[in-house]
Amino acid sequence: MLLAAPRFALPETVGEALSALAERPDAVVVAGGTEVMPDLLWRVRTAAGFVSLRRVGALRGTSRDGDELVVGAGTPVAALVDAEAGALAAAARSLGTPLVRTEATIGGNVVSALPYRNMLPALLALDARLELTSDTGRRTVAFDGFTTAPGVTRLGEGELLTAVRLPTRPCFSDYVKIGRRNAQYVATVSAAVVSRNGAVRLAFGNAGPVPLRSDAVDVVATALLDGRAGPDDLRAAVADAVDPPEDTVASAAYRRHALGVLATRLVVRAQVDAGLGS
Amino acid sequence: MSSEADESVTFSLTVDGAAHEVTAPWSESLLTVLRERLGVRGPKTGCAHGRCGACAVRVAFEPDRADDDGHVLCSCLLPAATAAGCSVRTIASIGGPDGELSDVQEAFLAEGAVQCGICTAGFVTAATELLDTDPDPTREQIEAALYGNLCRCTGYGRIVAAVETAARTRREATP
Repeated sequence: MLLAAPRFALPETVGEALSALAERPDAVVVAGGTEVMPDLLWRVRTAAGFVSLRRVGALRGTSRDGDELVVGAGTPVAALVDAEAGALAAAARSLGTPLVRTEATIGGNVVSALPYRNMLPALLALDARLELTSDTGRRTVAFDGFTTAPGVTRLGEGELLTAVRLPTRPCFSDYVKIGRRNAQYVATVSAAVVSRNGAVRLAFGNAGPVPLRSDAVDVVATALLDGRAGPDDLRAAVADAVDPPEDTVASAAYRRHALGVLATRLVVRAQVDAGLGS
Repeated sequence: MSSEADESVTFSLTVDGAAHEVTAPWSESLLTVLRERLGVRGPKTGCAHGRCGACAVRVAFEPDRADDDGHVLCSCLLPAATAAGCSVRTIASIGGPDGELSDVQEAFLAEGAVQCGICTAGFVTAATELLDTDPDPTREQIEAALYGNLCRCTGYGRIVAAVETAARTRREATP
């Protein structure tokens, strides 16, 4: 432990982090700090202490395990901007600013679990799995279903997200988001695509209370990819599947429309990549 | 109610080469520690939530490792105590010990890239890191590297020109 105080712990290992959390069950687990610090400043969150993962070396960096890429939960988003998976790289590149990306982590993005978070549609489209570690051991769960409500996940008490696992099987993947301006913007809506062996998998951000995908949408998207369906079919399927929020940024109707546009745009990109479009 | 001691944390921090022992509330940002506790006023308080880059500093989290030259971050977003034992370099570390300006600072002056000045330390810090890693950046790479720094006076043309000038000067100085 690099530093321990009644309300603050700076562990160096996952084991130390779990002990520190057990001793401070009300503390907020903070990785980069890029979400928690503004939240405290604006008093939209209270905290009884910090367990910082900043110095847990084992959580940082990427490695290969069989046919999976293992991304440590404390890996800064800056380390993913050139990732092989296009969706992961594009989502990382559009997060915050270079100065924020050096601190913001992929794990923080997942656990914060807000529907507009950048990395989430990319992880859902890529069919990520999450490695969760507690005193009793380690379990791996699908990212699909991990978020149960805005800001709420299936992470158990005393459990830490320690890694994100991504399949490395070759695919085309991409991510796109739109917002109210062209720089430093939060996604009004976002979408990601994975196209592999002629099958398309789409995922959407801010399209509902949690990251969202749908088999019905993917059937139509796959048909669009090989010319058996048209863009209107996909837009209609997306409009049926999503349940977007209505807020001061945009109406639900606008989001429903925009999600259909993004879905079509991504499938066209997949077509071009597959040599099917022009 | 918890005691005051419960609310604070004590740690060491090296700032611009000087060692400090800091006692601060556990959630206090590095920016607040630098400015309010240590009197280091180079990093500026702008937006205080990571958008403007006026508070940018360079932090080496493993200063004992030869290959850790640090990276630039927003000090307003970093809980100060998470940098315990680390080395922080502010704008005061850029340039010579007797106040000589660095090549980047000279270029900002020459190109008229400074107006009110609140953003300047952050811009110079980010631009210096860019040129340390890539001595010959394209205009697009300069703009991408400075994307997290906002200026509300000059527009960005003079600032980008200054970084281009600094890059050229640096390349000419190192044959």
